[in-house]
Formats: sequence, structure tokens, C-alpha cells
Amino acid sequence: MKADAATRRADVTALGVWLALCGLTVATWLVGQAGVGGAAVVAALMLSVLVKGQMVVDFYMGLKRVRGPWRWVVTGWLVAVLTLIGVAYWLGGH
Amino acid sequence: MQYRSQAVAKPYFIAAIGLFVGQILFGLVMGLQYVWGDFLFPEIPFNVARMVHTNLLIVWLLFGFMGAAYYLVPEESERELHSPGLAILLFWVFLIAGALTILGYLLVPYAGLAKLTGNDLLPTMGREFLEQPTITKIGIVIVALGFLYNIGLTILGGRKTVVNLVLLTGLTGLALLFLFAFYNPDNLVKDKFYWWWVVHLWVEGVWELILGSILAFVLIKVTGVDREVIEKWLYVIIAMTLITGIIGTGHHYYWIGTPEYWQWWGSIFSAMEPIPFFMMTVFAFNMVNRRRREHPNKAAVLWALGTAVMAFLGAGVWGFLHTLAPVNYYTHGTQITAAHGHMAFYGAYVMIVLTMISYAMPILRGQEASDERSQVLEMWSFWLMTVSMVFITLFLTGAGILQVWLQRYSTDPIPFMAAQEKIAIFYWLREIAGVVFLIGLVLYVVSFFVKGGRPAMASAADTA
Amino acid sequence: MDMTAGLPAATEQRSLPGDFAIWIFIYAELLVFGVFFLAYAFARSHNVELFDAQQRFLDRNTGAINTLVLITSSFLVVRAVNAIRRDAAAVCARWLTAAIACGGIFVALKLGEFHAKFAAGVTLSTNTFYMFYLSLTFFHFMHVLMGMVILAVVAVKARRGAYSAASHTGVETGASYWHMVDLVWIVLFPLVYVMH
Repeated sequence: MKADAATRRADVTALGVWLALCGLTVATWLVGQAGVGGAAVVAALMLSVLVKGQMVVDFYMGLKRVRGPWRWVVTGWLVAVLTLIGVAYWLGGH
Repeated sequence: MQYRSQAVAKPYFIAAIGLFVGQILFGLVMGLQYVWGDFLFPEIPFNVARMVHTNLLIVWLLFGFMGAAYYLVPEESERELHSPGLAILLFWVFLIAGALTILGYLLVPYAGLAKLTGNDLLPTMGREFLEQPTITKIGIVIVALGFLYNIGLTILGGRKTVVNLVLLTGLTGLALLFLFAFYNPDNLVKDKFYWWWVVHLWVEGVWELILGSILAFVLIKVTGVDREVIEKWLYVIIAMTLITGIIGTGHHYYWIGTPEYWQWWGSIFSAMEPIPFFMMTVFAFNMVNRRRREHPNKAAVLWALGTAVMAFLGAGVWGFLHTLAPVNYYTHGTQITAAHGHMAFYGAYVMIVLTMISYAMPILRGQEASDERSQVLEMWSFWLMTVSMVFITLFLTGAGILQVWLQRYSTDPIPFMAAQEKIAIFYWLREIAGVVFLIGLVLYVVSFFVKGGRPAMASAADTA
Repeated sequence: MDMTAGLPAATEQRSLPGDFAIWIFIYAELLVFGVFFLAYAFARSHNVELFDAQQRFLDRNTGAINTLVLITSSFLVVRAVNAIRRDAAAVCARWLTAAIACGGIFVALKLGEFHAKFAAGVTLSTNTFYMFYLSLTFFHFMHVLMGMVILAVVAVKARRGAYSAASHTGVETGASYWHMVDLVWIVLFPLVYVMH
């Protein structure tokens, strides 16, 4: 049962992704608890969102192995939105 | 024609085209009055011509929608219409009520018409697009209820398809939202607030469901693509329409006394309103490219594709142009609005009704498709009307941009009438484009009476 | 539509999971949310003090817990999809039910948050920050409800045996939509609750 083995492996991957996502979420919460702000914190948070988002896109939505531009559309959305949010925060800081 | 009762659609289509001609004639009168103020004064003042132009549009589109429903509902439900007699009765009621109302506009001063029809008892008159005397509005409700009863029972008693259910949802919404035409609060903010529930939620909400289902029906017929594929698209388009269109109402609430958050809601959601129209364009071309048969009615295919493109341009792009609150602050109520209104109504609703007529009318007259000469003429009329509408829109857009600049944006704004004089050249050009549109419309009417050429036959149908 | 389902899923290039139409819908939704996020960010850049001051009043702990809840529910949905690829329909239905339960926890916590705000007299007109907070989270909230309805339909159908390893486009369709709801919240939580 090749399909069985493959989906078992996918289960393990999904668990690993879940742990990573939870870890990054807790980290985000800790940043909030610490009450810190500023350009470096914004950049770090946006980067962590990018990583989390891309993990969801690749392993949960399953776009990693999909033919065509579909994965890049969502990645592009993440990059564009997060970058522009960063720009807006940078503008607000001046 | 698969079901005999589909024939009731025919008088509806004929009335729609007749009123369409009337609408365009009054449009030309009004277009001329823009530059020649007392043309036909005092017989037909500008405000009356405008009222007739817009009311006729709405009435003939309603005739078109009802005709389309009477044609497609039996075929989709796979049974005869519940009551063809009721359909014919309501046709005459609606036509006579509509004609009397238009005559009232033309023959009696508006205030006199209000008095004559007892507007005091339940005041509903005097608001743009809803100028009809209260008694006419009640008549519209009765016709709508009878119509919904008729097609509702047909649908519920027969095969239930997505096309049918989306159409029924759209038509029910149309009837329900019209009830807000009777709500006429003294508070001007509330008045405008609910007025848009009729006007906006019609054309940017439930009418889009009607448009989507008619387009889907015609595409299923002329392309032979699997119903499942087309229905899937229809679902997504409808969902997107409702998500963006309902809250998108906010783009009418910017500076009329409503809370400030409408500026955000209206801007964000209505900025997305082009998406379902864009999907519709992709959808229509996709389906025609994947067609599994060559339908002999080339004209209908052309109208269907034209609808998808022009609806996106007129409703989507030209709507987006002035939908964001900071832009609308300057463009509100200028010729930009008129430009958008013309192309959106033509591209979305005029063209979908003409698509349906183009597809169904030959069948109602006993042919699968019109003769070749007739179709060539019809396609000529398509291009004349569509291209001239593009020019009308461009000229009005030019007028609007100049108007915004001269009257509102420049450091030294000039008064309204002074600005109007300076943009008169655009109004002349628009009137010329309007004459070309009329020529196209005349050719369209003539195309129904032309015969000959190779009789259109199903050419190698179902190659799949 | 999905011809490769049932084959070794993890090794080869395949077409989009689920129905193509749902992806068009997902992209359109992402666009709407993206514009909404940017409107928030740029509106903030004109009112930095207001946004930063008001943000302190949000219930960050509940926001974080809700993030974990949604991430977990997404994980459960992945397990459901993997289960149906093994032809285990009953298992698939159970994972989906668990995911819906997580959605229920999210909804309950969110309602508590809304209740606290409304009890404190917050409305859409309180200030621009709260206008965005309420609009964004409520709009997302509606998507959670919608996603739960979709998952519930899929779960019921799975229990009835409507899906198999060879044919389970419906499961993937519902799963894809749910992941989108999760993805959007992953951006929303740090943006609205944490970042200043």
C-alpha cells in the first residue's frame, strides 16, 4: 500500500508543521506580553507570519506539489501584503 | 421550443424592444437638451425626458427579465409553465400600467400627477428612479407577486437546477427589495439610506444573480459544455457578487449623514465589486473556448461574450474609477457617474436581455437560429450599439474629468453652469454617438424582419 | 476532476486539491482580506498614537488561544484529508468533527470577546481603531461560521460514505477553504493584537 505509507508520512509532516506553527504563535504572544515595538519587532513578526503562512500554503493547503503558478500566487499575496504592512508601519514611525 | 408555454416569452420580448426604442429616443432628446436647453420646451422639459428615459429603461429590462424567466424556467424545470394564462394577463396589466404612467409623466405636470393619483395617502413619489405614482408601484408589486407565484410553482414542481434556483433567488430579491420604494421617511438621511436598498441592491446585488443565471443558461445551450462545470462557476460568481455587493452599498453612504465607517466599508468592499464581473468574463470565454458544438446562432454567442466584456468594463472598471471615498469626494454626481451608469446598464443588463432575446426569439419563431442575412444584420447592430456606447462613455468620462477639475478640484473653481458651457463639446460628441446607437438599434429591429441567405442549420452538432 | 487522487500523493506534481472553482473563490477572498489589512495598516500610519493606545485594551490572550485553536483545527482537517486518501471514510469524518469542534471553540471565545467590548460601550463609531478591529474580526468571524458549515456538510457526506480514496474532491474543497480561513487569521492576529 504505497498510498498508505505516503499519507502516513504526510500525517507526520502535518504534526511537525503544527508544532512549528504553535511555537511561532507562542513567540508572537510573548512579544505582545513583553510590550515591545519598533521596526525590528515589526520586521520579525512579519517574517514569522510569512514563514507560518508559507507552511500553511505548502503543507496544509498542499500547494507545494501543485503544477502551475497557484502556489506562487498565494506566496506573492503573503509577500505583498506583509511588505506593504511593513511599509505602512515604517511610514507611521516617522 | 421544448414546451409550448415558453411561447408567453414572446410578447414580453417584443414589448421590451419597443420600450427600448422609446428609451433611446428620449435619451436623444435629453442629450440635445444638454446643449440646446429649451429644445422641445415646454412640451418635454429636461426633467421629464430624464424621468422617461430612466423609467423606460427599468421597465423594459423588467419585461426582458420576465420574458427570459418565462422562456428558461420551463426548459430548466422540464415541465410546462404553471399558468400561461396568468403570464399573459400580467403582461397586459404591466404594459398598460407602464404606458399610462409614461403618458402621465408626459401629459400632466408631475405635481398634478401626484395629486391625481392620490400620492397624499401614501407618499412615495418624487425620488429619482422611483418617480412612479404610488398606484403604479402597487401595480408593480402585484405583477411581481403573480410572476413569482407562476415561476416559483413551476420551479418547485419540476427539476431544480442551479440556474433555476439562482434566477428565482434573484427575482425574489428584486421583488422584496422593491418594497423599500414604499418606505419614505421624513428624515432625509434615512430616506436616502433605504432608497439605495432598492437602487443599489438591485443593480449591484440581485440583478447580478439574474444576469448570471441567464448567461449560464445561454452558455449551456450554445456551447454544450457540461452543466456541472457552468453551475460551479455560477456558484462562485454569485457568492462573490453578494459578498462584495451587499456591503458595497456603502459607497453610496459617504457624505449623506451616515456614520464614518461607511467610507471604509464602502471603499473596501465596492473596490472588490469588479471581481465577480471579471470572473464572468473569464467564465464566458472559457466556456465558449471549450464548446462541444458549433451552435448555428452566432449572434447569440456574440451577445453573450459581449455581455461578459462590457459588464466588466462598464460595471467593474468604470465603477471602480470613482468608488473609493477620497476619489468620490470630488467625482460625486458628476458626468463620471453618468458615464458609469450608461456603460454599466448597457453592458450588464441591456446586453444580457438582448443575449436572451437573440437566443430565444428564433426558437420562438420556429427556427433554431435566424437566417444568415438576419444574423449578419444583427451582428452589425451589436457592433454599432456597443462601439457607440463605448464612445458615449468615453465622451462623458472626458466631460466628467473636466467638470471635476473646473468646478471642484482646481484652486480657482468656477460655477456649475460656467463649467457646463466649457464641456459642451463633449455633449455634442456624445449626442452624435447616441445617433449612431439609434441607427444600430434600428438595424437590430430590422434584423427581425430580414430573411434569406443560407438558412441556418445545426452545423455538425455535437462533435464530441 | 482530480485524477491523481489515490495515487502516491506526496511524491509527484498534481493539480489543485479540491474543486477549481473554490480556488478562484479563495484567491478572491484573499484579495479582499489583503486590501482590508492594508487599509488597517495605512489608516494606522495616520493615527499611530490612537492605534497603539487602543490596542492595549484588546484581549491578547484570547487572541493567541484562538490562533492555536484555528491552527489545530487546520491540522485536524489535514488528518481528515489524509484519512480519506487511505479510504478511511469514518476516520475522515471523525477528524472533521474534531476540526468543527475547534471552530466552535473559536466562535465561543470570539463571542465572549465581542460581548466584553459591546458591554464596555464600544461601537463601530468609537474610533478608527475599533472600527477596524470590529470590522476585520467580524468579517473573519463570518468566514469561520461559513467554513464550519462547509466542513459540516463534508463530514456528514463522509460519514455516509460519499467519498473514497479514488474520489474525494469534496473533502479537499472544504479543507482548502478552511485553511484559507486559518491563513487569514495568522496574519490578522499579530497585525491587530500584537504589533505596534
